[in-house]
Amino acid sequence: MFFLQSLLSGILTGGVYALAGIGMSLVFGVMNISNFAHGDLMMLGMYLAYFAFTLLHIDPYLSLLLIIPTAFLFGFILEKVFIHRIINHLHQNQILLTIGLGLIMSNTALLAFTSDPKILTTSYSSSAVHILGGISLSVPLLLSFVITCGIIGILFIFLSKTTTGLALWATSQNREAAQLMGINVAKMSAIAFGLGTSLAATAGALIAPTYYIHPMVGHTFLLKAFTICVLGGLGSVVGAGVGGVVIGVVESMSSTYLSSDWKDVVVFIIFLAVLLLRPQGLFGKKGEQ
Amino acid sequence: MKQIILIAIIAGIAAVLPLVTGESPYFTGVMISVLMMAALSSAWNILGGYAGQYSFGHAAYFGAGAYTTMILITQFNLNPLLSMAAGIIIACLIALITGSIVFRLRGHYFGLASIAVAEIVRLSALNFEFTGGAQGILLSEVSLWGLDLNSKNPFYYGMLLVLVVTLGITLYLRTSKTGFYLQAIREDQDAAASLGINLSFYKNKALLISASLTSLLGSLYAVYIRFIDTSAVLDLRLSIEIILTAIIGGVGTLWGPVLGAVLLVPLAEVLRSNVIGDALVKQGLVSETSGLGIFLKENLAHAHVLVYGIITVVCILYLPKGILGLFRRVK
Repeated sequence: MFFLQSLLSGILTGGVYALAGIGMSLVFGVMNISNFAHGDLMMLGMYLAYFAFTLLHIDPYLSLLLIIPTAFLFGFILEKVFIHRIINHLHQNQILLTIGLGLIMSNTALLAFTSDPKILTTSYSSSAVHILGGISLSVPLLLSFVITCGIIGILFIFLSKTTTGLALWATSQNREAAQLMGINVAKMSAIAFGLGTSLAATAGALIAPTYYIHPMVGHTFLLKAFTICVLGGLGSVVGAGVGGVVIGVVESMSSTYLSSDWKDVVVFIIFLAVLLLRPQGLFGKKGEQ
Repeated sequence: MKQIILIAIIAGIAAVLPLVTGESPYFTGVMISVLMMAALSSAWNILGGYAGQYSFGHAAYFGAGAYTTMILITQFNLNPLLSMAAGIIIACLIALITGSIVFRLRGHYFGLASIAVAEIVRLSALNFEFTGGAQGILLSEVSLWGLDLNSKNPFYYGMLLVLVVTLGITLYLRTSKTGFYLQAIREDQDAAASLGINLSFYKNKALLISASLTSLLGSLYAVYIRFIDTSAVLDLRLSIEIILTAIIGGVGTLWGPVLGAVLLVPLAEVLRSNVIGDALVKQGLVSETSGLGIFLKENLAHAHVLVYGIITVVCILYLPKGILGLFRRVK
């Protein structure tokens, strides 16, 4: 029973992680940049959901309709102003620039919203559904999972059926070749970063009702998102989806059977093990490391 | 030779500085921070600047030194110097494990893996009992050869000594076989390997040197402050500050990290101690009881990390080779 319980809640949380991981993987695939500001973008999504709820009285799940376009625009502008200037730079400079942007976001949030953790409490925050007798599933997590699946579905249709989506795939497969085929890769980069940002913010908004909202919360999620991407293969969208669920389950299992203090350590050990044994990840192409 | 004389002159000036400024614990404290950051960043520079292996997890070695020393002194009453030596051994062990995993990887993966190792160390220190967990470790009494360890001077000279040693090693490496190999690895790993350079041996060598020096500084810091916890000595932010200092001064140059520390540490100190806010209030520009006055007083202390972020972004975009890089080609 314990096993099933923690498996299911792991899968539910993992869905939201997958969303964050897919955003990061998309940016990596199209732009070949590790975005260290990803966790802080998630943090901004959490605050957006919080303020939409407390100030405008919009349900956190409904506020996504507001958050997704706002975050897309924010990411698009970030790319146009900062990120595009370092696309061909050394990896370490890209990492440092995004770290710098992340520090600016988290510390501005710290100045604006103070370090007191905020809690988003909806009428259904602590309610749970019971299935199969003893297994209880938290309603907000369940809702988040359903919405996540919807968003991932829409994303896949976008990536595989629309012209822009196909151009994104092409750019991620081979930037030079895509450019030669007449694809505007600079625009694709900005769109990819916008999409990555809105996926991060969405994941943040979805997790907001079940998590403490805090300016420094991005740090935790950043490292999780990286683990997910590396597990799935950096740049692989499908891989990130699967990786997210795996990490969610691993976390939930290690809290149940080990201790919740050590769950992050288990995640990082898996991360290193993947790097050691299969650096291209579960779904990555060989020779990419 | 010119550089050796320069190191000697600057070390000489730094050595007599406490005698000139007299009894100002505040000034000495800031100077200790400058020397420590200069040495940390120079030690990182051996691996990051010369071998081109950007480690984002140097806090792990700093913390390894700090924790080992504190545990051995408080729980086993060991001599502080022996405890520091033990700290170096532990840091080298962590470095060897890290090296064997991360040096097979390149680019993005190397940076990520170095963070993961540092996070594992941090979380372990937070969760184990013998490391004091979230409470950290407090050192109430320590003695060594009758030195007055309550004053700041022994630590000032200790940090200065480590900085001079680090600069000396860097200088030696620049002109030695190992140094040339490291720079070859930085410029082109495949070309270096095809010339017969044993990549992982030389990368590990640079990491071990860098980690040992970092650990030593961690031990000194711990005995100096007499209190450590994971957020002080193992945080990712420390690793990033170390890199940032080197970047701003000039990565892969002898004096870049020192210059970076001289600029950044006092800046952080000014922001942290709220000198600006106090000055505004004193000038009568902002009333102390007004909303803005209270805001400045309560929040400006946090602003130094924000300023670090802004400096990082500006530096990467406009000054990727650092201040010294403006004047000459990065060697």
